[in-house]
Amino acid sequence: MSPILRMENLTVKLGGRVIIENINLRINRQEIVAIVGPNGGGKTTLIKTALGLITPTEGTVEILGTTPEKAIKTGKIGYLPQKTDIPRNFPFSVLDVVLLGLVNSGLSRKEKLEKAKKYLSYVGMGGLEDHPYGRLSGGQQQRVSIARVLVSDPEIIFLDEPSTGIDVVAQESFYDFLKKLRDEKGITVVMVSHDIGVVGKFVDKVAGLNRFLHYYGHPRDFFQRHVLEKLYGTDVELIIHSPECVACEHFHSDFRK
Amino acid sequence: MAELLEIPFVQNALIGGVILAVLLSVLSLFIYLKNWSFINVGISHAAFGGLAVGFYLGLSPTVFGIIFAVATGLLIGYISRKGDIHEDISIGILFSMSMAFGVIVITLSPNYNTDLFTFLFGNILTISKGDIILLGGFSVFALGFIAAFFNKIMYCCYNEEVAYVSGINTPFYYYSLITIIAIATVLSVKLVGVILASAMMILPAAMANQIFWHYRKILVFSVFFSILMVVAGIFISFQYDLPSGATIVLLYSALFSISVLTKKLIGKAG
Repeated sequence: MSPILRMENLTVKLGGRVIIENINLRINRQEIVAIVGPNGGGKTTLIKTALGLITPTEGTVEILGTTPEKAIKTGKIGYLPQKTDIPRNFPFSVLDVVLLGLVNSGLSRKEKLEKAKKYLSYVGMGGLEDHPYGRLSGGQQQRVSIARVLVSDPEIIFLDEPSTGIDVVAQESFYDFLKKLRDEKGITVVMVSHDIGVVGKFVDKVAGLNRFLHYYGHPRDFFQRHVLEKLYGTDVELIIHSPECVACEHFHSDFRK
Repeated sequence: MAELLEIPFVQNALIGGVILAVLLSVLSLFIYLKNWSFINVGISHAAFGGLAVGFYLGLSPTVFGIIFAVATGLLIGYISRKGDIHEDISIGILFSMSMAFGVIVITLSPNYNTDLFTFLFGNILTISKGDIILLGGFSVFALGFIAAFFNKIMYCCYNEEVAYVSGINTPFYYYSLITIIAIATVLSVKLVGVILASAMMILPAAMANQIFWHYRKILVFSVFFSILMVVAGIFISFQYDLPSGATIVLLYSALFSISVLTKKLIGKAG
């Protein structure tokens, strides 16, 4: 099966500085892939290059079997940038934000409204259609933005730090929701995350990026000292919180004593 | 007041003023959403250089003003998008350079007279039927363009990168909007002057958003109160022999202060 996203020998220089170098990456359909790495490691640059927002200095990007510039015209790509890139007090209702995702759809006004409402219910925001977007909590705004991404029926979605500002419990249900998207709608999810512990439990593959792609594969092999040292430097100390985490149990019982 | 309405140049001023109020208040929504206040101030100052060149050559100041304003606007827009130089710095350099150039050209001009003051601060007595036709024609075109592509332009205001990934031709809407703002600035020169034109494109939406949170209400309120302010400003300036542009802008500012106070007292209406 041909990959939905393929990067070959990709190098990006911005302002004379090499941000990512010689990246080779293949992402298959219906996978959830997390791109992790330290701040400034090139995670956002990588997805912006995949989307055609940044032109690579060297190498090629192929998405949905074509160039990013042609692929975006199909409307089959969804993008959720970092929260700070979305104006918090934009004078839109919740429904207006979701309708943005259908601007290029060619549907009638009635069809657009029906579809937008359906997706708001899907993300658990039904009934809040006429509510001011700017007055929602961070987590609620994120759900509405996800509905905006999904309403155009994308085949692949890119999420940049989607769990920022969401509490840990909400994060877990958010990642479960991404699994639901993959399983029910067959969507490929590529997300940037700084939270390698939580992400490790939910994704199919992890891409460890710090200028170079140091690791790409199953999350279980990612948490090895030599991989993490390459990615984060030699002084990395990792505590993974998970329901099965024995170390956490020990830590908590020690703490209680 | 009824007698004033019978005077031809008052009629011209009112018709031109109302058209301008509608055009600039609609543009103010996008300037507000895009945080383009300083870009707008830069364009209006840059227009002065072009007006001065036209004046010096004895040709149409409006045409040269438009050329300068559009070129400066597009250059500022390009620099802002490219991100190599901070946009505030590029605007500061470009508009002061154009203003300085305009002052030197005007000083060298054999036609040098008080028209300089008109360029800067407006003089509604000089609005002719030809000006109204030009302004009206351009307004129909500009508002038609905005109406036809309203949702796509709003998507660009929400987030340009997201709009681009959704297949919207964001550079086209970005540069079109800047071009419309630049031309509107030059065409408003006789009513309020280049210096004060930017106020009419910044204050309406900023004021309306103090009271309403939704863009449709912001738009309607901006247009309605801009017409009210411009008509009131023209009558007051005639009545008390005050400069029209300054009077109109002071009225806008007063209403903005009231809207801020109203917001503090009762919150946003809806």
